[in-house]
Amino acid sequence: MDIRRVMKERIILFDGAMGTMLQKAGIGLGELPESWNLLHPDTVIQIHKDYLDAGADIISTNTFGANRLKIRGDGFTLSQIVRGAFDCAHKAVRQAGHGLVALDLGPTGRLLKPMGDLDFEEAVSIYAEVVELGVQNGADAILIETMSDMHELKAAVLAAKEHSSLPVFATCVFDESGKMLTGGTPKAVVAMLEGLHVDALGTNCSLGPRQMLKTARELLRYASVPVICTPNAGLPRSENGETVYDVGPEEFAEDIAALLDTGVSAVGGCCGTTPAHIRAVKKVAQGRKAPSIVQKQETIVTSYAVAQTIGKRPVIVGERINPTGKKKMAQALRDQNYSYILDMALEQQGKGAHILDVNVGVPGTDETSALCETIRQIQSISELPLQIDTSSIQAMEAAMRIYNGKPMVNSVSGKKESMDAVFPLVKKYGGVVVALALDENGIPDTSEGRVRVAGKILEEAKKYGIPEKDIIIDCLCMTVSADPRGALVTLDTLKRVQEELNAKTILGVSNISFGLPQRAFMNQAFFTMALQNGLNAAIINPCSEGMKGAYDAYLVLAAEDENCGAYISTYADFKPALPRGAVWEEDLREILKEGNNPNFDLPAVQAGKKTKKEQGYLNDSGELTGNPDAARLIQCIRKGLREEAQKCAEDLLQSLEALEIINHCMIPALNEVGKDFEHGKVFLPQLLMSAEAARGVFAVLKEKMEASGQGGNRRGSVILATVKGDIHDIGKNIVKVLLESYRFDVIDLGRDVPPETVVETAVRRKVRLVGLSALMTTTVANMEETIRQLHEKAPDVKIMVGGAVMTENYAASIHADRYCKDAMASVQYAEEVLG
Amino acid sequence: MTGNPEELKVNRREIYRYLGIRNGEPDQGTKALVESVLKELTDNVQLREFHQMFPLHVPQDEFHTIDLTCFRTHSRSLEKNLRGCSDIIVMAATIGTKVDLLLHRYSLTNASRGVVMQAASAAMIEAWCNLTNDAIRTEVAGRGLYLRPRFSPGYGDFPLDNQRDIFQALQVEKRVGIALTESLLMIPSKSVTAVIGAGRDHLPCVREGCEACSKADCLYRRNPAAV
Repeated sequence: MDIRRVMKERIILFDGAMGTMLQKAGIGLGELPESWNLLHPDTVIQIHKDYLDAGADIISTNTFGANRLKIRGDGFTLSQIVRGAFDCAHKAVRQAGHGLVALDLGPTGRLLKPMGDLDFEEAVSIYAEVVELGVQNGADAILIETMSDMHELKAAVLAAKEHSSLPVFATCVFDESGKMLTGGTPKAVVAMLEGLHVDALGTNCSLGPRQMLKTARELLRYASVPVICTPNAGLPRSENGETVYDVGPEEFAEDIAALLDTGVSAVGGCCGTTPAHIRAVKKVAQGRKAPSIVQKQETIVTSYAVAQTIGKRPVIVGERINPTGKKKMAQALRDQNYSYILDMALEQQGKGAHILDVNVGVPGTDETSALCETIRQIQSISELPLQIDTSSIQAMEAAMRIYNGKPMVNSVSGKKESMDAVFPLVKKYGGVVVALALDENGIPDTSEGRVRVAGKILEEAKKYGIPEKDIIIDCLCMTVSADPRGALVTLDTLKRVQEELNAKTILGVSNISFGLPQRAFMNQAFFTMALQNGLNAAIINPCSEGMKGAYDAYLVLAAEDENCGAYISTYADFKPALPRGAVWEEDLREILKEGNNPNFDLPAVQAGKKTKKEQGYLNDSGELTGNPDAARLIQCIRKGLREEAQKCAEDLLQSLEALEIINHCMIPALNEVGKDFEHGKVFLPQLLMSAEAARGVFAVLKEKMEASGQGGNRRGSVILATVKGDIHDIGKNIVKVLLESYRFDVIDLGRDVPPETVVETAVRRKVRLVGLSALMTTTVANMEETIRQLHEKAPDVKIMVGGAVMTENYAASIHADRYCKDAMASVQYAEEVLG
Repeated sequence: MTGNPEELKVNRREIYRYLGIRNGEPDQGTKALVESVLKELTDNVQLREFHQMFPLHVPQDEFHTIDLTCFRTHSRSLEKNLRGCSDIIVMAATIGTKVDLLLHRYSLTNASRGVVMQAASAAMIEAWCNLTNDAIRTEVAGRGLYLRPRFSPGYGDFPLDNQRDIFQALQVEKRVGIALTESLLMIPSKSVTAVIGAGRDHLPCVREGCEACSKADCLYRRNPAAV
């Protein structure tokens, strides 16, 4: 039986629960269900056979937990267990006289990085091992089921595809709110799984058949492949210590019929279902033809949680994570300073970006590893889909592989070489790819030419089985100062690509103004024109008020913002950004309300503009007196007002040296707050707010000092790391904020850091102080090991430790140099060691 | 199974205590921050739990053996906790993965909010456990049973290794959506596993876990006097 073909002809029936039947057969608590393949094969064979006799077309092997993480030291090897599972299944098929056998793959039981501790490639390899065993033992198909995390799901599907040519089915668990454990929605799952070319997809477990209807409808709305539903026999309930499921065979079958009516192609049962359930389902499924499956045209990119449609309502692709022409970003990438990049990601998200472009190409760095690490880091704090933007095919593949979801990819062009390299990747990993309307002959200077190239790209993609919806045409925006008709050609191309090719469009908008003064005016005008011509995705800077404003206004004018609701809520209390150094008067009054600031001269500040630049007021003993800006800065730091403090610092730089500001404002303010913290007058949140304000001020001052060649008044570097095995890093991050506010350079190695990495970094960067954090008793051993290795290979390095389980004595017993009871203590020790 | 976050009774004092505010009131700013964080959490948590009751056998032997039917362990403090119990309820609860994303995000970009969220989410999982605990009390009351304090692996000498057994017995990953790392950390981080003894004797019982723990020198101990 060719399952792919039969699925197009009639409803396919999967089997019901294995675990439930094994429990009925008396499997003990804590016994490994898979061990019964070898210990009690007759029972397993009988269960399979009962399902086949009940009418199941496909049975799944008793290998749900068969992977090297779960099968260890139980007396059997993984290979024996899988072979045993197939022996049982095949015997049952022979006895029943019909049926296919699917290799059943369940979750690994561990969560993938960055949320958990399992490496993506490790997960792929865990599944690959089982897939190979399945192939060796004669599997007819692979059923990946009960998946509750999209990243693990992707690992499993990749393993199945890379190590077999069998049909692959994948089903996920959605709860009543329609979400997977890590936030994935049916729409996101469909987009990712179709990108990976599974043969059918769906949902199993968690819900009863009635509650599953909602999820099934969502899946069907987006899916262009058959949909599978294998619900539980109702919701589990605990009764006298037993888990029971209430929905009986007849009721189950009735609800399954409703699922079939909505267009589901294959059904079966999960927890609590029995051969009787499957028999009842067989009755309602018999004679039904397979539903016809419509190819959906929606263009969707996803993260692990958010699925973003690119269509009539235009979307913003945030362009700022890109070092081209940005010195600071390039430096951040060279320094692997991810917090700078993450700030930028969150800022764009806050300003309304729908997708974030990620380009990390800096000459002299390893782009592949930088791109992968940046993507991992961004995906650990933001749920927005990302655009993988690179000209390196190697980096593109690595990033598409580890990306959690279905990415946007930038870019392919009409050049044969480009298509030959990029399309196989899109075919394998899935993605929406940006296609530049240019080829070997360059950029066509007419819209006909560009439409022709775009058409050629779509045709070529089709040969790989990549649908039109996964190609988005970059109509190319040339600078208008070089070609007066350039903008018109681009706009005309936008229109024609949609009309003639029915494809989606994208533009990097700000190229238009290159070489002209006041580029913002040009960009905004052109952006609005492009939107009016049907632009689907705009690569812009969402933090630019003008561009965001043009976008928001367009949505109102294009009837995409009902009752102007979004526009009004964004702009009703809008205040335009002030020039550098200026402060709104009302903000200032707020800052000063509780302040004790007799010297402050309010009339000097006029609404929205600071006109009077104060002189420095140093008295004979070098203390500041009467400088209102200085007093204001101290007040802002004490109150933890970061932005205001930064503005004050900018003002102060007119009259004082950066170093004077540090010594006379920053340090006294921080010391005061620190003292109050130690005396219990202020608490951690306030201390941190002050530290963050001081850190912000220091960033302003550092820029100035570096510009004037003062080297930023650095005090030395400190390595911080949460030790291997530990993934809680809040304590470490608090220490980081405080150390940075006291102007130490922090090399943050993150969490779950192997001892070798700490040692290697300390040696390579000649660091004299290392701070280690551990939160669990189980991970203190790794802290001890890290310290041992540091003492051995970097004997001059001082080590401070902290964390919930740490004590003075414990720290001494593992040979740490200092136990820091809180973040302030780590600052004091850093001052001791580094001065 | 699942719960409504609006129904949680989150103890503000508990949050303040985690923030190091032992005596006295926090200032208005901190109070407002706590409330704003709680609001954000309420919008983002996914409350899930699963529990199951098993026959309990405590032979009171020299090894302090405890047979929970689904696994066996050895623990002097748990043995004391379970004196007179005939059954044991094993539970696992979580407030979901979104909280970890937010915690990570704020710890990098807004440390003060991160710290408050850390404290508030810890109090929130505690509140969710209490709600679950109350439901269990009602369930067993019908059978004439009374509960003992909730006790988690890692409390006293109850081995943390038993996490694996609890995970296997309850199918925690699948039913509740919690994963265990190699080093026995739970993800989502705001998750709890625990056992609750049930017996015919009606003993005074502190519902919550903290006082039941014998680690008297714990930095975060709620009531240092009650050992």
